[in-house]
Amino acid sequence: MSKQQLINKIFFSVKNNVETPLKITGQQLLTYSLKDNICVKAEDDKTTCNSSMLWEYKSPFNSTIYDILSKESNLKFIGKTRLDEFAMGSMGINGPNFNPKDVLNPLFPDRVPGGSSSGSAASVSGGLVDFSLGTDTGGSVRLPASWCGTMGFKPSYGKISRYGVVDMAQSLDTVGVISNDIDKIYHVFKLLDQYDPKDTTSLPEELRFRPPQQDLKSEWKIGIPREICIDLCDPIIWNKFEETLHKLLSVPGVTLHPVSIPSLKLSLPIYYTLCPSEVASNLARYDGVRYGSREKNEFEDQDNDTDITLFASTRSKHFGKEVKRRIMLGNHTLSSGSYQNNYLKAQRLRMRLIDEFNSIFQVRNVLMGKTEIKTNSDEGIDFMLVPTSLTPPPKMDDVVKSQTNKQQEENPVTNYMNDFFTVPMSLAGLPTISIPMSLKSNLGVQIVGQYGDDYKVLNFAKNVMINSNVST
Amino acid sequence: MVKFRNIRVSLKTGRFYSTRNEYKLICGLEIHTQLNTDNKLFSLSTNAPFKSLNTPNKHVSHFDASLPGTRPKLNYECVLDALKLALSLNCNVNLNSHFDRKHYFYGDQPQGYQLTQHYSPIATEGYMNLYTDIDTIDTPTKKIGIIQLQLEQDTGISHYDNQEKTTMIDLNRSNVPLIELVTKPDFTTIPQVIAFIKKYQNLVRNLDVSTGNLETGAIRVDVNVSVDTYPRVELKNLPNTSSISNAIKYEYKRQVNIIKQGKASELLNCQETRGWNGKETVKLRSKETTIDYRYMPDPELGCVTLDPSIVQNVRNSLPRSSDDEIRSLMEEPYNLSVKNAKLLCVHNEKNEQYTSIEVKDFYLTSFDLFQKSNAKLSFKEKKIVANWVINELLGNLNKLELSLREIKQSFPPEKFVEFIQLIHDGKISNTGGKTLLFYILNLIKEKSISVELNLPKLVNELKIEVQSTINDDELLSQCKDIIDEVNESDPKLIEAIKLGKRINLLNYLVGIAMKKTRGRVKPTEYQRLFKFLLKIE
Repeated sequence: MSKQQLINKIFFSVKNNVETPLKITGQQLLTYSLKDNICVKAEDDKTTCNSSMLWEYKSPFNSTIYDILSKESNLKFIGKTRLDEFAMGSMGINGPNFNPKDVLNPLFPDRVPGGSSSGSAASVSGGLVDFSLGTDTGGSVRLPASWCGTMGFKPSYGKISRYGVVDMAQSLDTVGVISNDIDKIYHVFKLLDQYDPKDTTSLPEELRFRPPQQDLKSEWKIGIPREICIDLCDPIIWNKFEETLHKLLSVPGVTLHPVSIPSLKLSLPIYYTLCPSEVASNLARYDGVRYGSREKNEFEDQDNDTDITLFASTRSKHFGKEVKRRIMLGNHTLSSGSYQNNYLKAQRLRMRLIDEFNSIFQVRNVLMGKTEIKTNSDEGIDFMLVPTSLTPPPKMDDVVKSQTNKQQEENPVTNYMNDFFTVPMSLAGLPTISIPMSLKSNLGVQIVGQYGDDYKVLNFAKNVMINSNVST
Repeated sequence: MVKFRNIRVSLKTGRFYSTRNEYKLICGLEIHTQLNTDNKLFSLSTNAPFKSLNTPNKHVSHFDASLPGTRPKLNYECVLDALKLALSLNCNVNLNSHFDRKHYFYGDQPQGYQLTQHYSPIATEGYMNLYTDIDTIDTPTKKIGIIQLQLEQDTGISHYDNQEKTTMIDLNRSNVPLIELVTKPDFTTIPQVIAFIKKYQNLVRNLDVSTGNLETGAIRVDVNVSVDTYPRVELKNLPNTSSISNAIKYEYKRQVNIIKQGKASELLNCQETRGWNGKETVKLRSKETTIDYRYMPDPELGCVTLDPSIVQNVRNSLPRSSDDEIRSLMEEPYNLSVKNAKLLCVHNEKNEQYTSIEVKDFYLTSFDLFQKSNAKLSFKEKKIVANWVINELLGNLNKLELSLREIKQSFPPEKFVEFIQLIHDGKISNTGGKTLLFYILNLIKEKSISVELNLPKLVNELKIEVQSTINDDELLSQCKDIIDEVNESDPKLIEAIKLGKRINLLNYLVGIAMKKTRGRVKPTEYQRLFKFLLKIE
């Protein structure tokens, strides 16, 4: 496939030629793409979120992250990339006018790229850009990065500004970086790691720790949670994961420790209670009144409440299936009969999950203030290792078949199960990078650090996992 | 006897039904108040929804229009205003309140939800006291409980064009800060409701947190009306106090009629929302069409966490309550009437000539100066300042359409006290004082620049100085003339005076005499002479 063909499939809009001189004034020039739910203000640039609802939408302002990147003389913006509609999905196939031939995984053409930052991962893995920014709510950077055979980093929640990033679920949404080069991820993250007064959840300056130099630690305690051993996990993944652990053990200074996070098993129900609730709420603004698409009122001649019918026809036409499914799920959770038993319970369980994570790490969570938490700091771990996905990327043909198969479609839970390994870190806001378990493999492993330990995670990934040939 | 008195009281106040025991009226209020902060609740847009009615969508930020990717940022100015109001209403302040999303679709509700404080409002459990003398209610006191105060966003405004069949939406009001206040169902009469609203309006003006106007929608009142233990009916769209009063009256009668006809189980079996069209209440929503608002804590705004010291600082910075001010003005040394004390403490909405604060400042400064230069004033003598400020000065300002601000330059309290001193010392009479005051104010109006006022010179020019050395014979003949004149037109009158029947009649003669001499002679002097001429003791 030619480069131009790749570009056509992966990008919604191309602003600059991908072919550029590699160096300007001695500096290396880096190209990048942005997931199309990140606002860029320009006359012809749209921010569609791959939804019919925003098909012609042009943002009148820039996201903070684009503002930061566009000020760097050695960075060049190429264009906006494909995604699952409103960042909901794990296959990269949700959106209007779905055509299986449009969606591709450059290294594994018969496989789905993974979602929701499908275009971000594909543009990196296809060699079109040096790095890409995506968004990760429950795994949407890590999963496509792993299935496209590249690296995806989800920083601690609140590290990178979300101003101008279209909301899916604010309490979970995190901007992430995808690249084939760990140094580029480090460099870009360091650029974006700054407080933004426009974003209320942006981590305050005093809680940000920027290491003056690389971490010179030579002993690492790695925790493996017992709860990840589940039947649903494909043996291919499991075998590869064990192989990775064996290699890791051969690195001097690395020790492996079993740890327990009992609430890990509850992560999916917690996530699929809270996330759709926020989705239902956030997407209520797409009513066709001020921007985006508006449908003609189907019930115009009738005397009844025209406001309601106008919104209903607009929303039913312009939202896709998965988006509607999550809106319904969320509205059900938030309805007065269900709120106490579902929403509040899920919030409490989320707090418990965070407490359990805090109890296994050696360092304290910077958000917990100075209050002593009960941890066995001598025995606490530095990082946790977990596979990225339950299965290798499915074949596009199988996915298309299941999409047209009524029975399969009625059971979206199967798709949701895929998030089992990525969702816990989203709920706890932990910095996590997914890297291929071997060179260009589409099976990924996640390195998880304590909240705020982003640079430690990146350094470990570079110095131990990559430079010591654990994952190559 | 008691019964008779009750009926008389109720007839007088037009609430015949409210004192009857069989159908008890119960009301609670929900009041929305627009704060007059510079900026909106969660954005930096200008907060001026009423002033910008003619320039729709002028003060709209990306957030106010709910563009994708925008974020709310709490304006703490609004929190400060909420604290002032909460503490003035004796509420418990919640040191960790937070915002919730209340979901419903409407054209002028751009987010698809309103940010409000449903689960954890900023203040709870307060009260306001009403008093019979200050607030004109029919019981000595009435305590109205306040359930909660919450901060929330206002919506945009929809303008319906029936001909074009379109709706125009103005988002200038979108995200304007509101405080919603919910009272307990403690009201049992309409005057209590009206008194509460008026007192609340005065409070928000006193604290300078809102314009407090019902007409502009800065204050919007919903009333919950129920009879006995039947479910409540919420009344909406009540633009002013008279519609509030009329709507409650109408709704009470409607519910009582339903109960009397035995149809309560059918027509009054669930909560209902009704609107007011100026004549009657009409059904808007009932249980079948109730909206489930699907409240959800906002996932990114976090808690509004307050340090206890902030609350204490706000408490210390509060102005004195109007009730306290009124009471202190009614006591020594001022001894004002309730009416006059209220005039100085209750904001007058429409008067452009002077605000109550300006009048109060003018009065208090004048009073202090007057008291300093006159030791040991009697009860009556102390009232001279209030009489001249409230009755004479304000009356003349109204007549001449002058503002207190304008005249203060040439005629400050210092000068005003010099003027009062002339009267107090008997240098000019009351009548002369009135003449002089009007002359001064008119002079200021005509010159319209600051005028140098030399009071003794003016007294001289106007020939109003009381002449203690005036010739007795001249005065006597003058008095004789007056008696003759009166006798000619009404001989019975002089007879009556001679018989000493009514002392007022003597003063009638004195009045005529004073007019003729423009107040230059003390009235007591005339009284003495008339008594002498008519041979009365």
